[in-house]
Amino acid sequence: MSSPFQQRVLAAMGDQGLRSALDRATAQLGDRRKNAFSSLDHSDLIRDISRYAKMDLLRDLSGNLQRFEHALQDNGAQVHWAEDGPRANSIIVDIARQGRVKLAVKSKSMVTEETHLNEALEHAGMEVVDTDLGEYIVQLARSRPSHIIAPIIHMSRADVGRVMEQRIGVPFSDDPQTLARYARERLRTYFLRADMGITGANFGVVETGTICLVTNEGNGGMVTTLPRIHVVLMGIEKLVPTLAHLDLFLKILARSATGQKLSVYTTLVSGPRARDHESGPEEVHVILLDNGRSNILAGETAEILGCIRCGACLNACPVYKNIGGHAYGDTYSGPIGAIVTPGLKGLHDWKDLPGASSLCGACREVCPVRLDIPKMLLSLRKTSIEQGLSTFDMRMAMTAFGIVARSPNLYRFFAALVRWVLRRSTQQAWVKTAPGLAAGWTKVRDLKVPAAKNFQQQWRARKRGK
Amino acid sequence: MASEKAWQVNRARDTILARVRLAERTALLPRAPAEMPRHLEFASQPAEPCLERFQREARALGIETFLEASAAGVRNRIKTLVINRRVFSWDPELLPYDLGSILDNVVLSRDTRQEQALAEIGVTGCDGAIAETGTLAMLSGRGKSRAAALLPPVHVAVAQRSDLCLSMSEFFRKKSGKLRAAASCSFITGPSRTADIELTLTVGVHGPGRVIVVIGP
Repeated sequence: MSSPFQQRVLAAMGDQGLRSALDRATAQLGDRRKNAFSSLDHSDLIRDISRYAKMDLLRDLSGNLQRFEHALQDNGAQVHWAEDGPRANSIIVDIARQGRVKLAVKSKSMVTEETHLNEALEHAGMEVVDTDLGEYIVQLARSRPSHIIAPIIHMSRADVGRVMEQRIGVPFSDDPQTLARYARERLRTYFLRADMGITGANFGVVETGTICLVTNEGNGGMVTTLPRIHVVLMGIEKLVPTLAHLDLFLKILARSATGQKLSVYTTLVSGPRARDHESGPEEVHVILLDNGRSNILAGETAEILGCIRCGACLNACPVYKNIGGHAYGDTYSGPIGAIVTPGLKGLHDWKDLPGASSLCGACREVCPVRLDIPKMLLSLRKTSIEQGLSTFDMRMAMTAFGIVARSPNLYRFFAALVRWVLRRSTQQAWVKTAPGLAAGWTKVRDLKVPAAKNFQQQWRARKRGK
Repeated sequence: MASEKAWQVNRARDTILARVRLAERTALLPRAPAEMPRHLEFASQPAEPCLERFQREARALGIETFLEASAAGVRNRIKTLVINRRVFSWDPELLPYDLGSILDNVVLSRDTRQEQALAEIGVTGCDGAIAETGTLAMLSGRGKSRAAALLPPVHVAVAQRSDLCLSMSEFFRKKSGKLRAAASCSFITGPSRTADIELTLTVGVHGPGRVIVVIGP
């Protein structure tokens, strides 16, 4: 019997198109990142300073949140607090009702995916449109993003063309320029009509009460400029201490995410426009969302709250490269998803995720704030065993392995047995279908046929030969 | 009703802050080694290398740059760029080099959104030009429509040599007062772009596909 997670993994592994798309995209993003860091002086020091700035900030998160709140209020923004997703959504629906909002435009935001804000607004009778090109396609396809930075990394250009043809009635095309033009024309009319702009926040600057947003397309600028009301939904962990720190974080964010020195549009919002100014929103609301974050802070994976959502660990992860984002089953995927999702939603229902890692450490290597992701994954695995969340089969197998591994004679005996069985099962260099209990292993991968003699036997033979 | 709402807001705030305070006590957060510097200030550089760096970075991003030696040179350059085009501009008195004298019949920030959306070229000044990334910085304010740098397919920004700084930190330091007073600040680093479809670069998605910087004396 396999868990829902294992079923999603098997489905993804069987999708050749998905796997080759992921291979290409993650390799390219990984290369771009590497090149971009070579253009940054003192990059190691900048990463260290950013890392510990974030850790120090989290140590006094309650104090920093209050300072941030006051600074925002001084700038004329209204601050709201939400314990969970549904409450955040209902605050936003209330703001929209009071402002008689008919149409809301959103720029790319993971946290509104987390709370399912679109559904809540639609349920309240309002229209809401995602304006990031990738997220717009995701919305049209009624799907979910599969990568933090590149939401439709799993779709081919022809897939995108078909979705646009079916959903907005444009002639089919598989030319990215044409498809982007379709989206520009369509979304332009929404920008001009919208009464409300909704964004997440890449960073919140405590010192000045500033929200920082980055986009490449310019939708972040549009959404924070054109509508009357601007609503920011942000997790309580997204703070940085000062504007000078913000500069450091921006230096590593775009480099890690897309290999750019800086994203094209970096927008700083501190509050509503002055009465005599002609452009910018009249109201700015900031909603500070907990939704399980204080829970993460209390525990063994508190460090993960330093994550700046660049997506570099996804591109580096051998597991993500093979299964893609949807297999992780929730908003956040890849190595950070494997830690964040159990933290936000409880380990009980998400105990498989920390296992979705080879612990190779590639994620820690590329993480711009050097989060020790493998250590946190191990710690979650330990907790899930302590809480008795592992399956009976797994416990039995591990107990048996423990007995065998502690006795050299038993170990030698079983190793020889396995070698003998595997060598007899095929004439080729690779075992395609292993016999008995091992059949599960070869369902999605091949196994190298073991050598005729193991290392110890060869070692002894060599010593005798001397 | 209103007090009911206020009570709920305070309750959520108190609950979250109490949870966070409690969590801080058990949070496993690594501490910085004692010898590690806590901050890094980037030294500013004299104007000339900054200018070269800005032009190099901007060109690498696909921004067209023009260097003019005189105010008249800037005016001529702008005149040739906007000729026969529908212009959406900052209020003329906010543009440097007396550019107002050559821009007539233009759409301004007080005009309707529909008129602004029809403009073919946006003309703005800027509050900073950041050399290490080829970035233009613009603070919001009266008469300085943010949409002029966003809605038209072409954006022409006019910079003065004195706007140049090496890094964003330097810009923050230089303009801290103005920054505090402004409702927003936009940094623009090249033409609008996306790579969402099969990582294929496409320019001009929502913002301008062409960005031109004219640098005056």
